[in-house]
Amino acid sequence: MTVITPVTTDTIVSATPFWRLKGFPVIPVSILLFIAFVAVFADLLAPHDPQIGSLARRFKPPFWLEGGSLAYPLGTDHVGRDVLSRLIFGARVSMVVGITAVLVAGSIGTLLGIMSGYLGGWADQVVMRITDTWLALPALTFAIFLAAIVGPSELNIILILGLVYWTRYARVIRGEVLSLKQREFVRLAVVAGCSSRLIMWRHILPNVINSAIVLATLMLGVVIVTEASLSFLGVGVPPPKPAWGLMMADGKKGLMVGYWWLTVLPGICIMLMVLSANLLGDWLRVKLDPQLRQL
Amino acid sequence: MKQYIARRVGYSLLSLFLLSVTIFLFVRVTGDPVSLLVEPGASPEDIENIRRQLGLDQPLWEQYWHFMASLFAGDLGQSFYYRVPVLELYFQRLPHSLLLAAVAMTLSLLIGIPSGILAAVRVDGFWDSAGKIFSLLGLSLPQFWVGLVLILFFSVYLGWLPSSGSGGVLHLLMPAFTLGWYFAAAHMRLTRSSMLEVLGSEYIKLARLKGLPEALVIGKHALKNALIPVITLAGINLVVMINVAVVVETVFAWPGIGRLLYEGITFRDFPVVQGVVIIGGAMIVMVNLLVDILYALIDPRIRLES
Amino acid sequence: MVSPSPSTTRRNVLGLSAAAMIGATLRTANAAPEGELRIGVHVSLAPTWFDPAETPGIITPFMLLYAMHDAILKAMPSDPMAPCLAESCIMSSDGLSYALALRKGVKFHNGEELTAEDVKFSLERYRGAAAKSLKDRVANVEIHDPHRLTIRLKEPWPDFLTFYAGASGAGWIVPKKYVEQVGDEGFKKAPVGAGPYKFVSFTPGVELVCEAFEGYWRKKPSIKRLVFKVIPDESTRLAALQRSEIDVAYSIRGELADELLRTPGLTIKPALGSAPFWLYFPEQWDPQSPWHDRRVRQAAGVALDLKTMNEALTLGHSRLTGSIFPENFEFYWAPPPPVYDPARARKLLAEAGHARGFDAGDYYCDTSYANIGEVALNNLREVGIRVKLRPLERAAFFKAYSEKKLKNIVQGASGAFGNCATRAEAFVAKGGAYVYGSYPDIDALFAEQASQMDRAKREAILHRLQQLVHDKAIYAPIWQLAFISGVGPRVDQSGFGLIKGFVYTAPYEDLTLKGKA
Repeated sequence: MTVITPVTTDTIVSATPFWRLKGFPVIPVSILLFIAFVAVFADLLAPHDPQIGSLARRFKPPFWLEGGSLAYPLGTDHVGRDVLSRLIFGARVSMVVGITAVLVAGSIGTLLGIMSGYLGGWADQVVMRITDTWLALPALTFAIFLAAIVGPSELNIILILGLVYWTRYARVIRGEVLSLKQREFVRLAVVAGCSSRLIMWRHILPNVINSAIVLATLMLGVVIVTEASLSFLGVGVPPPKPAWGLMMADGKKGLMVGYWWLTVLPGICIMLMVLSANLLGDWLRVKLDPQLRQL
Repeated sequence: MKQYIARRVGYSLLSLFLLSVTIFLFVRVTGDPVSLLVEPGASPEDIENIRRQLGLDQPLWEQYWHFMASLFAGDLGQSFYYRVPVLELYFQRLPHSLLLAAVAMTLSLLIGIPSGILAAVRVDGFWDSAGKIFSLLGLSLPQFWVGLVLILFFSVYLGWLPSSGSGGVLHLLMPAFTLGWYFAAAHMRLTRSSMLEVLGSEYIKLARLKGLPEALVIGKHALKNALIPVITLAGINLVVMINVAVVVETVFAWPGIGRLLYEGITFRDFPVVQGVVIIGGAMIVMVNLLVDILYALIDPRIRLES
Repeated sequence: MVSPSPSTTRRNVLGLSAAAMIGATLRTANAAPEGELRIGVHVSLAPTWFDPAETPGIITPFMLLYAMHDAILKAMPSDPMAPCLAESCIMSSDGLSYALALRKGVKFHNGEELTAEDVKFSLERYRGAAAKSLKDRVANVEIHDPHRLTIRLKEPWPDFLTFYAGASGAGWIVPKKYVEQVGDEGFKKAPVGAGPYKFVSFTPGVELVCEAFEGYWRKKPSIKRLVFKVIPDESTRLAALQRSEIDVAYSIRGELADELLRTPGLTIKPALGSAPFWLYFPEQWDPQSPWHDRRVRQAAGVALDLKTMNEALTLGHSRLTGSIFPENFEFYWAPPPPVYDPARARKLLAEAGHARGFDAGDYYCDTSYANIGEVALNNLREVGIRVKLRPLERAAFFKAYSEKKLKNIVQGASGAFGNCATRAEAFVAKGGAYVYGSYPDIDALFAEQASQMDRAKREAILHRLQQLVHDKAIYAPIWQLAFISGVGPRVDQSGFGLIKGFVYTAPYEDLTLKGKA
C-alpha cells in the first residue's frame, strides 16, 4: 500500500533512554520483568516442591482465610500441593513455553515469509498454499491433533504452538518483503551482483525484524491463552507440571465449591502477563512499525 | 481481472485439496474410532466387525478415493457416532453457530469500536487506556474461565440467566459475550489505527479548518471511512467465530459447529471431522478470496503484483 | 452384569422372582403419569442408541435402552438377569438350545403385540459389537407359536446368556413390522419399542424427550415426561442442577461432588459400575527391566494410598477390591483386600536392589483420569519410584495401549460387559487386546476353562487363574470406580443403585417425583 521507510533499530535508540520515551508502558514492562525474575529464580523463591503434595492437606485456603496457614501462604490444590510454589514455577513454565513457542513460530514464519516474498515463483506458491491450508484449519483443532500425535510434554506443547502459529508471521512478513523488494537499496544490491541469499540475510531481514518483534509481543499473549485452553480440553502441559493454564483448568472445578484461589490466582498471573505483553506490543508497534495494523 | 480471479479461485481450490488430504491423514493417524466404540476388552472379532462396518478395513488410498468421490457428489458420509449423514448434522448445528456468532460479533463491535474511537481521539488519555485495557482483558483471559465466572455470577449467584443450553435470548447472552469479548481487542486495535490514519488525512484537516464541530468531524466524516477495514475484518472474524467456538460451546452446552467438531475429534468420528473441517475451511478460504478480489477491484496495483 | 448359572435357568426360578416384583409394584399402577424429569447427561446422545441392534460394546446406550426398549432378560433391581419379555428361559440339558416362553399381551408403543417373530427378527437383525460372537455360534431360531421359540446353538457355549440377555443389545426387542416398514434410518428417527417410555423428539447435541407409555407391561410409569439434556461440562452440569434446570446430573466428580453434598436439597448418588482401574507393568516380561522383579511390582501396589485417594476423589464410594475383575461379575474371586504400607514398599524395593529408589520412566493414562494418576504419582514417588505422568487424550491412549506401544506403567480401566473369563481374555491371556505378555500357567488355565461346560469346575479354574494374576502381581489394582451423580430436590425415587453394576438411573418406570404417585 503506502511506501514504507525502512526503520532501523538505531533510529529508536536515540538520545533519550527508551524508558523516558513518550507513552513508554512502565507498568507492563515492570510486570514482565518481575515475572521473568521469578521464573529465573524460582528454585530459590519457592517454599515447597511444586510437584509433590499430600492428600492430607488438600484445599487449604490462603493464610488470611480461616483454616489457612503461613506454611502454605496461598493455599494448596486438589493434590495438596503448595499453590504459591506452583505459581512461582508456573512463571517459568509460562515464560519458557510462551517465549520459545513464539520463537519457533517466529523463526519458521519469518524465514518462510522472507523466502516466499523475495524469491517469488514456486517457492512463494508452495509457502502460500501451505499457509492458506493451515489458516483454514482452526488452531485448536490442529493443536489437539498434533497433541495426539506427539503426545503431551512441555516440549511438544512448544512445538505444537509454534507449528500452529507460524503462518501468521509468514503472511505479515511476506507482505513486508514484497514492498521492500521494490525499494531502491534492494534494487541496488541486485544490480551490484549480490546473491539472493546475501540480500535476504543482509538487506531484507534487518528491515523486517521490527515487525517480527512487534508480532512476537502480541503473539505471546495468544500463545499463553491457547496453552490454557489446551489444558481445558485435556491436551495441554501434562500434570503435575506447574503451568498456569493447567492450574486454571484444574482449579476451575474448585471455583464452584469456593476454592477460588486455585483458579483465580493463576488467572490473575496469566491476565497480567498477557495484558502486559499486549500493551508493550501496542506501544512497540506505534514506535517501531506504524504500518502493521491488522492483528 | 478475469485472469486474476481465475487464478485466485484456482489457488483456493488447491488449498482446499491440501486441506482435505491433511485432515484425512491427521484424523487417521491420531486414533482409532473402533477402540472408542467398544469398551476396552471387547473381543477381537467384534472389533474387526465394527471396523468392517465403518469401511476402515480398506486400504488408505481407497478410503480417500471413496471420500473424495462422494464429496464431489455432495455427500460427506455418515457419522460413525451418530450414524446419520454428516451434512444433516451440520445443518442442524449451523443455525445455532450462526446465531451465536452474529450476536457475539455485535457485542464485540459494541465493545471494540467505541473503545477504538476513544483511544484514537484521546491518545494516551484515561479513556484510551481504560478502553484498551477492557478490550485486551477479553484476549487475556481464557474463555473457559470467563464463561465459568459468568455462570457462577449470573446463574448461580444472581439467578438471572440460565446456565447453559439454547432456547431464548437469555441463553445467548453469556456465551455470546464470552466469545465476543475475545475478539473485541482486534476490532478495537483496527478501529484505533484506522481512525488515526483517517484523522491524519487531508480532508479531515480540511473539515477541521472549515470549523466544523469536532463531534461531527469524528462522528460522521472520519468514522465513515475508518470503519471500512473494521467491517471487513468483522466479516472475516464472523466466519472464524463459527468455526472456533469450541471452548465457549462446551462450557455453555451450546449446540454449535465447534462442539460437533470437538466431539468428532474425541470420538475419532472421521466423517464428521473431515466434513466440518472442510466446510469450515471452504468458508474461510472463500471469505479470504472475496476480500482479495474486492481489494484487487479497489486497488489495481495488487493484481499486477502477484 | 452377572449371568445366572445354567442350572438356575434350567430350574426356571426366574419367573417366580418377576411375579414377586409385579406384586410389589401394583399399588402405584393406577395413578396417571404426571410431571417431568430432566436429566443432565455428560455425553452427546447418539441416535444409534435408540436402536438396540446397533448397541456398541459400551455401557452408555443402556441409559436410553432402559427407557425406550425392553429385553427378553435384563438386569433389574431384583435380579441381574430378570425375565422381562420372557416369562422363562430354559436351557436344554446338552446346553445346545434355549427355550423361551414370551410374556403374553406385551405391546409395542405403536399398539402392535410383541410376538416370537419380533424376537427372532431382533436377534437376526442385531449387528452391534457382539454380533460376530453371537452369529458364529447361533445355529437357528425356531418359532413354535407366537409366544414360544427356541434358540439353537452350534456348540455348547457357556457364556451365551451373558451375551444374549440384556448386555449386548441382541435380546432387546424391536417391532419387526414397523422396522421393515420404515427402514433402519426411519427407525432411528422415530424409534418404537416395548419400554416404559416412548420417543417424542430428539435434537442432536441438545436433548431427547420421551413420554410415559401407559401400556407398559410391568407397571405404568409415574413420571409423564423424561428430558435428557446434553451438558458436556461438569461444572455447568452442577450449576444447572443447583438452579433446578435439571433434576439429575450425571458424573459429578471430585470437589464438585463435595459441593453437591454441601448444597441444601441436593443429594449425591454414587453407583458402583463394572469398571475396575489398575496399574499395568508392560515391561515385566523383559529381564532387563526393573519391573521384571515381582517385588518391584508388589512395591508399587502397596505404595498406593488407595483409601485416601478414594476419600479425596470419589468421596470414599469407589470399592477397593484389589482385583482387575469387577466384583459383580460371574466367576469372581475375591483377593485379599489391598494394603497401604509404604515401609514395606521401600523394603521390597531395597530387596530388589533399588534401596535408593529408581527412575521408572513414564506413567501413561487417559486424560480424563489424570487426577488418579497425579495422586498415584505422589504415592509412588514417596517410596522412591520416580515416574513422569503422560496423560494421553482418550482416543490416542486406547490406540497406543492396544497397539502395545506403551511402556513403564499404564493406568488402565475397563467397563466392558461380560464375565471374568471375557475379562481374562482381553487383559491376561496370551493374544488379548491389551496383553503385552503372558505366563504359560495362566494361558493353560484360560484354555482349559474355555471348553469346560461344567460350571463348578469352570469356576474353580477361573478362581485359580485370578489367584495367579494376584500372586504374580501382573497388575496393581486401584479400585472399582464409583460413578457419582447428583439429584435435585424434586426427585423422590431417583433409581440410582437399584440395579447392581449399573451406573445410570433405572428402571425408569420405578422413578417418582416428590408429592406424586
